[in-house]
Amino acid sequence: MTDLSISEDFKLDVLKEMGNIGIGNAANALSQMMNFEKVDIYIPEVMICPLGEIPDIMGGAENTVIGVYIKAPGDVPFYTVFLLSQSSADSLIQSLTGEAYPSLGEMGQSVLREVGNIITASYLNALSFMTDLMFLPTPPAVAVDMAGAILGSILAEANICEDNVLVLKTALSTAAGAIEASFLIIPDEDSLDTIVNLLISGASQ
Amino acid sequence: MTELIRVKIADLAVSKNDGVIITVGLGSCVGIALYDSAFKVAGLAHILLSDSSMFKNQSNPAKFADTAIPLLVEQMVKLGARPNRLQAKIAGGSQLFILEGGSMAVGEKNINMVRDVLRSLRIPIVGEDLGGNVGRTMKLFVPDGKVLISTTGAGEKFL
Repeated sequence: MTDLSISEDFKLDVLKEMGNIGIGNAANALSQMMNFEKVDIYIPEVMICPLGEIPDIMGGAENTVIGVYIKAPGDVPFYTVFLLSQSSADSLIQSLTGEAYPSLGEMGQSVLREVGNIITASYLNALSFMTDLMFLPTPPAVAVDMAGAILGSILAEANICEDNVLVLKTALSTAAGAIEASFLIIPDEDSLDTIVNLLISGASQ
Repeated sequence: MTELIRVKIADLAVSKNDGVIITVGLGSCVGIALYDSAFKVAGLAHILLSDSSMFKNQSNPAKFADTAIPLLVEQMVKLGARPNRLQAKIAGGSQLFILEGGSMAVGEKNINMVRDVLRSLRIPIVGEDLGGNVGRTMKLFVPDGKVLISTTGAGEKFL
């Protein structure tokens, strides 16, 4: 972790709260898709992570993971990626469809894309509602590869010139089994400041 | 035990005589392995972006192709390498995500810039494994300059 001044800490708190709201919405949506089965969520961990350590979030750069990537251009451009392990993907597909479709097959990929869509849209909806900013998420893309390769590609696509990245990590659990997932948000530093300022000024009115 | 040196994203490392330098998970990033066989000096860089002049934050020169490669050469020269004896092996620059209505050409941009920089430094490329849609791991063996590329699912090969 980098040294954070008080204002940076405050910034993180604001973003963490945004994460709670967004992920809460996502869990609701997922629960509806699963015939109102109970979906428990853990309070998201929010951290500012140095670039080189990001692949370690998913258990090492060489670990094979599934990434659902969504680009959200708009007033403030965002890049998000929903990452989960092979076994989590399997339990997610099983709970949503009632069948064990392979996560690399067409049906499995389609389910994962949809979940990525819901999670990202829930987060961005909450953010948009509170800031009046408009986000226009693109259709999701899925890749199954080394965590390092997936994250590196997204960081490069985001033209990330920062040395640290905002990471929101969460976990869901359903009757079909625990689903561990990370949801990463990659804005550029200016976007982050814009959003935090809008959130704070909005809250004080 | 041979010494294993890890190179992270936007990072580089050099070594002499013995050991292995490894970088894991090259997607659209490009790994550049340089080697001076006479003095057994090896260097490996993992670049994320092509052109540092496009960014205001250039605090880490190892992040960009145009600044990382000269820095790598400089560090190798300090270990006794001669710039005119260096040979390069490069890997990565793939496209993992196929997006509707637009492509992610970052990998290709990275490859082009790496080629340009190596050409301007007169370092020949003697091996490459580029493009496609797979992630790669690159291992550079310091004693002989061999480079092992491994991918998820597609096995391993030497450059």
